[in-house]
Amino acid sequence: MKRLVLLAAVLQGLTFAGAAAAQGAAVPDYSAFPCLSHTLPCGELAAREPVRKELEGPLDGNAARGKQTAFARNRGNCLACHVMPGGSQPGSRGPDLSHFGSTGRSTAETFAMVWDMRTVNPETLMPPFGTNAVLTEQELRDVVAFLLSLK
Amino acid sequence: MLKRALLPALALGALAGCGIFGGGPHREHYPDARIDPFKGVEGDVGFSDTIQYWRTEADLQRHAALAEKPAEQWKLNWKHMDLDRIELHPGHLAVDEGQALVKKLAARDPAFLACLGEGSADLKGKAAAYPKFDAALGRIVTVEDRIEHCAKRVLKEDLPQGKPSNTKISVYFKSQSAGTPIGVDLSDGNVMEAYRRGEELFYRKTGQLNFACASCHVPGSIMGHKLRGETPTTPFGDAAHYPTYRTPVGALESIQERFARCHGQMRTQALKPGDPAYADLEVFMTVLSNGYPVSVPSAR
Repeated sequence: MKRLVLLAAVLQGLTFAGAAAAQGAAVPDYSAFPCLSHTLPCGELAAREPVRKELEGPLDGNAARGKQTAFARNRGNCLACHVMPGGSQPGSRGPDLSHFGSTGRSTAETFAMVWDMRTVNPETLMPPFGTNAVLTEQELRDVVAFLLSLK
Repeated sequence: MLKRALLPALALGALAGCGIFGGGPHREHYPDARIDPFKGVEGDVGFSDTIQYWRTEADLQRHAALAEKPAEQWKLNWKHMDLDRIELHPGHLAVDEGQALVKKLAARDPAFLACLGEGSADLKGKAAAYPKFDAALGRIVTVEDRIEHCAKRVLKEDLPQGKPSNTKISVYFKSQSAGTPIGVDLSDGNVMEAYRRGEELFYRKTGQLNFACASCHVPGSIMGHKLRGETPTTPFGDAAHYPTYRTPVGALESIQERFARCHGQMRTQALKPGDPAYADLEVFMTVLSNGYPVSVPSAR
């Protein structure tokens, strides 16, 4: 049985690798952020300091779009760490966000948290989505609308 | 530039846990888990405490049922895959291919094999002492680096780290130490310095997502928790099975290629296999396997 599972995994891996090679996926460049090199400039780069971002104007966020952004692995991928309604394979390290909209967090507070959680919890594991430009401001406004809709 | 970097470092030193590793640019580090390098693989006791499930084959057999429990499988640290004595997977094939490559290259000049074995053609047990400091070369040398160096010096042939032929020879080289306890020499001051550099790299937050290796691989981090479909495991014992055949990607990978793949997932600039920073990180990781047997070939 175990052997079959391993063999299946091997075959699946080969298929996957073949598909990836066929796409010829380019290696993205993250050299604008700190890296581990002793010699490249990114090895000397400072981490972007925490930014307390004020929400300007009305939120103007779209909850449905925010849900897509939150779920997509190549965008917010909030599901990596959080349970969110309707999400598959949620993570378990971050708080369950199923009822975030009922926790009494204000819109401005929520926006500041997703922009850069380090301003709230310096030892957070959460990426600074706004400060490090993982998501755009509009995407973050959409995510906030989605979060606040979770009652 | 320095001033700009230092000011926020001072302002945020207490917040971000930086400063514990000294001056330089404002760096953020995951809090230090205070690993004692002299405990080797036994440092996992009081760390993830999963070593009780995977320390020996008998432990693994006794806890084999965990493999079927999604919430607990991570406790086996994937060591249960080493119990599959399946001789079909490409990890095993790489031993034969690597051996054939060594034979071919040694036929051109027997000095190649003597270079690999540092004066003797017998490779038995030797890989267990890597990475080591090579006084003649003046740097930390991994098995893959030794292969690249010897091919270049003796045969004038490029066998760069990360190239499949290099990795296959490494699998063969390390398979000659299978079962031998890993013994990175911490009494060598140069190795200890590399360990300390690697340790700093392990905790350093990098990339667009601002993750460190430690963000997923120390207690209190994501280790043991679900990260979408995955559950990150302890770093103890991990270096022992590299290079390994990675079933999810269908390829042999050296540990430094694994670092690069992790970095891509962390949205961090990946480095080339053989980069001195990766060599330092490999020293750190391998010290965390000291005392655990070399487990090559393997699949993961």
